[in-house]
Amino acid sequence: MYYNVDIMSDRLVEILVSSFMRILIPGIKVTVPLTLLSFLLSVFIGLLLALVQVANIKVLKEVARFYIWIFRGTPLIVQLFIIFFGLPSLGITLNAFPAAVLAFGMNLGAYNAEVFRSAIMAIPKGQLEAAYMIGLSYPRAMARVILPQSFPVAFPNLFNNLISLLKDTSLASSITVIELFTSAQQIAARTYEPFALYCEAALIYLIFSTALTWLQRWIEKKLVWESSENDKDKDKDCGCGRNKAMIG
Amino acid sequence: MLEVKNIHKSFSKVPVLRGIDFKVEKGEVVAIIGPSGSGKTTLLRCISFLEKADEGEIVFDEYTHDMVHISKRDIKKVRMNMGFVFQSFNLFSNMTVYDNVMEGLVTARKMDRCEARKKTFEVLEKVGMLDKTKNYPGELSGGQQQRVAIARAIAPDPKVILFDEPTSALDPELTGEVLDVMKKLAKEGTTMVVVTHEMGFARDVASRVVFMENGVVVEEGKAKELFENPKEERTRQFLSAMSKHE
Repeated sequence: MYYNVDIMSDRLVEILVSSFMRILIPGIKVTVPLTLLSFLLSVFIGLLLALVQVANIKVLKEVARFYIWIFRGTPLIVQLFIIFFGLPSLGITLNAFPAAVLAFGMNLGAYNAEVFRSAIMAIPKGQLEAAYMIGLSYPRAMARVILPQSFPVAFPNLFNNLISLLKDTSLASSITVIELFTSAQQIAARTYEPFALYCEAALIYLIFSTALTWLQRWIEKKLVWESSENDKDKDKDCGCGRNKAMIG
Repeated sequence: MLEVKNIHKSFSKVPVLRGIDFKVEKGEVVAIIGPSGSGKTTLLRCISFLEKADEGEIVFDEYTHDMVHISKRDIKKVRMNMGFVFQSFNLFSNMTVYDNVMEGLVTARKMDRCEARKKTFEVLEKVGMLDKTKNYPGELSGGQQQRVAIARAIAPDPKVILFDEPTSALDPELTGEVLDVMKKLAKEGTTMVVVTHEMGFARDVASRVVFMENGVVVEEGKAKELFENPKEERTRQFLSAMSKHE
C-alpha cells in the first residue's frame, strides 16, 4: 500500500507531531478559559432572566423577553462583530478576549434563560405551596427549595450548551483571538497542509468535549438526593447533643 | 379561634364555594366530609390563602382580615400560625427529613438552631420517624413521608393544623400509621381541621363533623349525632353510601 505511505509522508508526520502542542497549548490557555468565563457569564445572565420571568415582575419580564428575542434571533458571529468591531464607533473599545467573553456569555445567556425557566417550571407546584405554608416568603422559597431542585433538572441542558459553547469559541478566531482554531489556521497557512491541520484541530476539540462529557456523567451521579455516609454527621454546629434527655 | 365567613370561590365561572361559614374552637377536631367536588379541599386552600377567595372574611388569632384584599404580610402572619398537611405530602425533596422539619423553624422563624434541633427531634419522635432523620423523602414510603410532613407542620406549634385528605394518596395498609399519629395529636388537644374520606376517623376522633356538598355546608354537628342521627336526607344518603365501602 504505497498510497498510504504517500499520504503520511515523514514530513507530514513531523508537522503533525510538532504542531500538536502548538495547537493544544492555545487550546488550554485560551479556548478553555474563554469557554469557562463565557459559560459563567451565561449562567448568571440566564438565571437572572429566568427568575424575573417566573417571578412575573412586570417591566423586567418584558426586558428579559426582549433580550432573549434579540440574542436568539440573530447570528452569534454577527453579535461578535458588533461587540468587537462595532462598539468602538460608539467609543467603547474592548480587547478581543473580553469582547469574545461578552458576546458568547450574552448569547448563551439567552439560551440558558430558557433552560432555567423550564427547569423551574418543572418543579411540582406543591413544593412552593409547602414552602409558603411553613412560613417562607417567595424569595426564600426560591432560594431554599425551588432553585436547588431546579438545578439538577437544568443540568443536562446546561452542559449541552457548555459543549456547544466550547466548539463555538472557534468563532473568536474571526475577531483576532489567538485560540485553538486560530493556531491551527496559522500553521496550516505556513505548511500548506490544511486537511491534516484542521483534522488535528478537530481532534483536539474532540478531546476537550469528551472530557466534558465524562465530567457531566460524573457530576450527574452526584446530583441525586439520597442519604450517604458523608451526611451522617451533619449539623454538629451546635453544642446540644442528640440524647434522650434532650428529646424528652 | 378560627372563623371564616361567607367564602365564595369560582374557578373560571364555575362556583366551587357558595357562601361558606365555618368556625373552629381551640382544641377542636373538625372533620369536613362530603363527595368529591363538593369544595372541601378548596375551602382549606382558601383558608390558607393557597387559593384566593372571591369573597369572604377570616377571623384568626384575634385579627379580622378581608380574604380578598389581605396583604402579603398578613398572609404570612396567618400562615406562621397555621400548619398544613397536603394530600401529596410535598416534603422538600432536596432536604433530609431533619432539614425538612428544621426549615420552618430556623429559616422562616429564626429560631435558635439549638432549640430548633431539640424541637425537631421531639416532633420526629412523636411521629415515630427518629430513625430516618438523615434520609431524603425519596427514600421513604408514602406513610413515612406523610408522618414527616405532619412533624414539619406541628414543629412550630401552630394554633391550628389543616389536613387536606392526608391519607388519600396512601395504600390502605399505610393509612393506619398516619391516622394513628393524627389520633395522638387529637388526644393532646391539637386544634385540627381534617378534610377526609376516612369515615371511621371522622366518627371516632373528630369532635365536630361538617358535611359539604356543591359548595355549601349541608349539615354540621357533633360527630356522634351527625353519624347516628343525621338531620338532612342528603347526609343520610352519603353516609350510607360510604358505610357500604368500609
